[in-house]
Amino acid sequence: MKNKHEGWGWMLAVDFFFAGMGGAMLVIAGAADLFVGEGRTSALASFLGAAFMGLGSGLLIFELGRPFQSWRVFMNPKAILTAGAWTMSLAIGAGFVYTTFSFALFPWSGWVLVRKLTAAFLIVAGLVVAAYPGILLGRLKGRPLWSGSGMTSLFLTSSLVTAFAAHYLCGLLYPPAAIGDVLAKFPAVTAVLLAVQLVLWVSYLWVKHSSTAAETIAVKRWISGEYAAAFKYGFILAGTLLPLALALADAPLFQAAGAALTLGGGLVMRLLVIYGGNADRTWLPGEVQYRSRLPHGDEAFLKAWNK
Amino acid sequence: MARYAIVFDTRRCIGCHSCTVACRVNNELPLDMIYNPVTTVGPAGVYPNLSMVHVPLICMHCDNPPCVDACPTGASQRRDDGIVFVEDRKCVGCLACVMACPYGARVKNHATGAVQKCDFCKDRVDAGKLPYCVLTCHQKARVFGDLDEPASEVCKLVNGQRAVRLLAELGTEPYAFYIYG
Repeated sequence: MKNKHEGWGWMLAVDFFFAGMGGAMLVIAGAADLFVGEGRTSALASFLGAAFMGLGSGLLIFELGRPFQSWRVFMNPKAILTAGAWTMSLAIGAGFVYTTFSFALFPWSGWVLVRKLTAAFLIVAGLVVAAYPGILLGRLKGRPLWSGSGMTSLFLTSSLVTAFAAHYLCGLLYPPAAIGDVLAKFPAVTAVLLAVQLVLWVSYLWVKHSSTAAETIAVKRWISGEYAAAFKYGFILAGTLLPLALALADAPLFQAAGAALTLGGGLVMRLLVIYGGNADRTWLPGEVQYRSRLPHGDEAFLKAWNK
Repeated sequence: MARYAIVFDTRRCIGCHSCTVACRVNNELPLDMIYNPVTTVGPAGVYPNLSMVHVPLICMHCDNPPCVDACPTGASQRRDDGIVFVEDRKCVGCLACVMACPYGARVKNHATGAVQKCDFCKDRVDAGKLPYCVLTCHQKARVFGDLDEPASEVCKLVNGQRAVRLLAELGTEPYAFYIYG
């Protein structure tokens, strides 16, 4: 029956997108502050980084079967979801606090040491938030598309590439307080990361394709199956190659378009990963045939029964 | 302390699905929830050498349960006697356990929003009774008992025959064993 084969939905994929991008945006803001200087990235970016993580958390709550009891996800310190929830919450708070240092109306805006410490915390917490969906998925042994350490590097790379693109767009909307030398390099960095991401994905699918039978089946969905069009045209072409070319163009308009496409590519990637991973499990003997025979939930006898 | 386990003798199982029905009726499960399906593999081979096997599936009550590790609320728990269960009031329906379980043993109850699963009918087991599915199986294809009790039938079957575990390579150490012909 339809809920006999449960899986995560689009809200979790969108949460992974916003949370990963938001976390990496705070990493970039913190790193630029610590290693280059104050005010080199847009204050809007650090604000939106925290806000995006908050938005992702909100979507995650709505994905729950019992959203009003969402506080319980903080209760098991051994679970990776709990670790992620705590890290994300702390990073959101620190991100908003860090943003206030950009505005003189806050009395603590001149406290340099506190700002630097907050920036250092943002780097650590943001990296964890950016990588943690990959760790979460990679630990699921029965999911052939996800299992293994590869997902961590894929999610971390995608989080960073979308964060650089988002930082660039934020910088155009609300320029950095100091000079924009760092911001001007972001399209080039985005292009490099897009190339790295492309290589990582091709090698990931290649390795998976030549692994177990279950992994081969899972990858075939991306290469020639129901997700092939979204993967090839949505993620690779429109979300990776096209923005890579636009990022290398010497015109802010093209670079901004490339950055927007990069964000779209990141979202498509997460949707593909979640739905693709949902589709396959390491099936038990006879299970696929058994499930294929179960009713979908809209059959006449079920409707009559539930009246 | 007992260590409960179940053995499925697939040589005896005829695929009648009585266990599935007994479980659903006695646990008052909604129509769209199944704890213990019975799958069929085959017929395979070439006439006259045909074979077919029925494989009862269930929560494997793993010794190293990934569902318990994945649960962020502590709702998924493992008792000292090995029974893995869900404490309903703590479950938020995040599906982390559903995705972590390699055996597909967990289902979401859409009416309550929580995840449910086979718990070996732990209330009956605590009262010294057998789980409903075991009680119902008229072919005696399901054997339930204490693996730490050397005289128990389940202990003899696990140690005396070629009992295998499903997906043993994943390291979850399931305590459901299968005997094939």
